[in-house]
Amino acid sequence: MGFILDMFILAGIFGFLYGFLLQKADFCFTASIRDWISVRDSRIGKGVLVLIATAMIGWGLVLTLGLQTVGEVWTVPIGFSNLIGGVIFGIGMTIAGSCASGALYRAGMGYIQFWIVIASMMVGNILFALVYDPWVEGYFFEPLLLTEQGFSLYQLNLPFLLIPILVVGLMLLIAVRQFGWKELGQGVKESFKDFRGNPLTKSHWDIRMVAVLIGIIATIQFVVISSISITGPETRIASVLLSFVFGDDFIYQNAYLNSMFADFPSIGLGPEETLIIFMIFGAFVSALLSKSFKIRKPKLVRLPYAIGGGLLMGIASRMAPGCNIANVIPGIGGLSISSFIVIIGMALGVFIATAYVFKMPLLLFHKMDLDG
Amino acid sequence: MTLSNEELAILKPDHIVDGIGEVCPHTLNIALKALKKAKTGEIVMEETDHSIATKTIPAAVKMNKIAEVLGVLSQSGEYKIFLKKL
Repeated sequence: MGFILDMFILAGIFGFLYGFLLQKADFCFTASIRDWISVRDSRIGKGVLVLIATAMIGWGLVLTLGLQTVGEVWTVPIGFSNLIGGVIFGIGMTIAGSCASGALYRAGMGYIQFWIVIASMMVGNILFALVYDPWVEGYFFEPLLLTEQGFSLYQLNLPFLLIPILVVGLMLLIAVRQFGWKELGQGVKESFKDFRGNPLTKSHWDIRMVAVLIGIIATIQFVVISSISITGPETRIASVLLSFVFGDDFIYQNAYLNSMFADFPSIGLGPEETLIIFMIFGAFVSALLSKSFKIRKPKLVRLPYAIGGGLLMGIASRMAPGCNIANVIPGIGGLSISSFIVIIGMALGVFIATAYVFKMPLLLFHKMDLDG
Repeated sequence: MTLSNEELAILKPDHIVDGIGEVCPHTLNIALKALKKAKTGEIVMEETDHSIATKTIPAAVKMNKIAEVLGVLSQSGEYKIFLKKL
């Protein structure tokens, strides 16, 4: 089977839009949890919740309208491997300073540190593949597996929009109880404020608005191409680079990498890989327009964080499997049980690294001693 | 109290924090460390090229009533964040 050109063009457009939007809102999934538990800053966390709500309604609508089938919803076998992979990914992204999508948009902004994180993630992907058969398969996945198949709540015999509407309704109820209708309306009004004047040159767009836009775009992508993912395509990009050195046979003889190219006509880049590359380009254009682009050199002392965090993310993204983007948007949007477990794992991982690696204040739980 | 860019440009901070080349969570940690050392009313200024720090640091100090945010100066991907310890 081959790919048609239209798919590459579409993927490039989607990638560009994601990169542009993520950069405009500085959408950092790591910060959404770390900053909430550490300094009670819930701004980005609210953005992630809006993204989840939009994706859930989007996936529910797509299935209700018959634009995609339940069989196309991304879900993987359920097991403790989801939790362990999630925890290690959460620790890795906190140490590295960004999640999978964060590293891409910041690479486009000129951060050398996040190019190193991406390269380290790819090394982690390959390291995982090298020990996959027989060790990881036999001693990790098989003993930890609870079900042979993945499961999405959309497989229940319920109207597709029922669970999304209930969950989003509950979110709204909690928001109204906490902030009141007036403040909630004010928030909605505020989220449009960055669109006055020329929004393209503004350095920051409201994260809630951006979350809605990303959720809508990912829903359209689910209908016309595939579920958005980052670390799977990154593993394939790493494999293509590896094939330049060791040849295509090296990739085909590795059980894990071979399976990654099962739907590919040859070892090469497909639409999803194109999407990833255009995410970096979209962020680059966004940063240029707002004069935020700069070649940012990291402090040398921080390089071990970039390399170590990236390696952990690369390995864990194959264990969980999936990164923050895949598990939050098509995962939770697709009501996939495995993704709920991965996300709980990631939150735990962020907590562990925040509390025990960086020893940050945990102001969600106690007050700060200012006179320390 | 948010100061204008002109006012910020001539402001003399009591403590300058070098956050160039740092990313989260170090950008926030070094700001908090400097604010801990500072006396009430003193001005801490962090120089950083980490764009998200212009949102996370002001939000953290406001939310926890650690400092007043006097403003942020931006120029070509570098930022100066001015904080006055409460």
